[in-house]
Amino acid sequence: MSTRADAWPAGGTRPDWTLRVVPSNRDEPGRESPLAGLDDRQLVDACLGGRIEAFDLVVERHQRAVYQLCFRYVHRHEDAADLAQEVFLRAYRGLRRFRGDSALGTWLYRIGVNVCLNHVSARRAPETSLDEAPQIPAGGDDPASSLARAERGARVRAAVARLPRKQRATLVLRIYQDLSHAEIASVLGTTVGAVKANVFHALGNLKKLLAEEAAGKP
Amino acid sequence: MTHLSPAQAVDVAAGSAAPALIAHAASCEPCRAKVESLLEAVRLAAEDPPPDPSPLFWPHLAARIGEAVRREQAPAPSWRPWLWRLVPAGSLAALVLAAGVGFRLWSGTPGTLPGTMDAPALAPVEAPAGPMAAGDASDDPSWMLVSDLSSQVSLDDAEESGALPLPGGVEDALVQLDEIERMELARLLRAEMAALAPAAPQGPGA
Repeated sequence: MSTRADAWPAGGTRPDWTLRVVPSNRDEPGRESPLAGLDDRQLVDACLGGRIEAFDLVVERHQRAVYQLCFRYVHRHEDAADLAQEVFLRAYRGLRRFRGDSALGTWLYRIGVNVCLNHVSARRAPETSLDEAPQIPAGGDDPASSLARAERGARVRAAVARLPRKQRATLVLRIYQDLSHAEIASVLGTTVGAVKANVFHALGNLKKLLAEEAAGKP
Repeated sequence: MTHLSPAQAVDVAAGSAAPALIAHAASCEPCRAKVESLLEAVRLAAEDPPPDPSPLFWPHLAARIGEAVRREQAPAPSWRPWLWRLVPAGSLAALVLAAGVGFRLWSGTPGTLPGTMDAPALAPVEAPAGPMAAGDASDDPSWMLVSDLSSQVSLDDAEESGALPLPGGVEDALVQLDEIERMELARLLRAEMAALAPAAPQGPGA
């Protein structure tokens, strides 16, 4: 590294000190730290400190999980987007109540399950009828296979929608959101043992409903 | 060994059970059927694929949520920390209130310290009687008015109204008099003293 002492002109009196210019590590007053490197808890603190853009990162990180959870309850893209927005709005309003005891994602799932259950309770009509025309996924293999797969998907969707509330929430979080039993217990405010029992009964009831539907029973 | 409970069957199906449970499920037909039924249900559930929106959807959703959030007010300040901050002050206030009430109940006389009595009202200040020397303030109507009014005021009323001088107030007033005022004050005092003093004995040669 070249220093002022090294570049001292010949003939001059060379000082016995060396001047080095190094970048300061101290934060400049009024300059805010970047948010991208912060974890969820720090983002929450930054948001509560008045930096609303920190919540944008929270949304960016968790919107997929929240949207997919909502979609499992309403099965319509627009409705799922509406519910996801509602989940984040509720989270924002109650941000001070997030104590950090659980992960932010778990807390958002908890809000999400409540929002979805309220939505489903408000409109008791089943979201998906067994006779509803299934959406055929774009691309993939031949149309007949795609149609058969879409039909199976629709039947499963309808059967899941007919499960008791707790079993449905447990199944969605375990099978589709891939949460651990402990995480589900935290989301639903119950014990791990109760979650496992609910998984057991939800899967059993799902099989039973699908079997009844295949046999032509209502 | 007893058959697997529902929770144990779920653990075996998830592959997170203890080796002894896994071994039992492998050797016990009813338990194996229970676990296989669970695994089949999981496969059926997985036939409903996850939603697969366009990649453009995520920035759109994030922007939409961001706009909605910005229409909201800032997160409401929590009242709980403030409440906790008020607890010491509230406790102190309650303590002082309790002490005051207890003190009054113990003394039995509201607003009176125990061991004290109401002071009797002082008698009204009597205006000085007797003839004033000629040329003194008794001829001044203003002085007469002040003298008349002051004779009807008790010392308690005067003290309550703040009319009485504070300690050292007279000295301060004297210091602030100019030369003429001091000479006039001295003349008035001499006249008052001469009027109150008994007649001086006359000398033989006077």
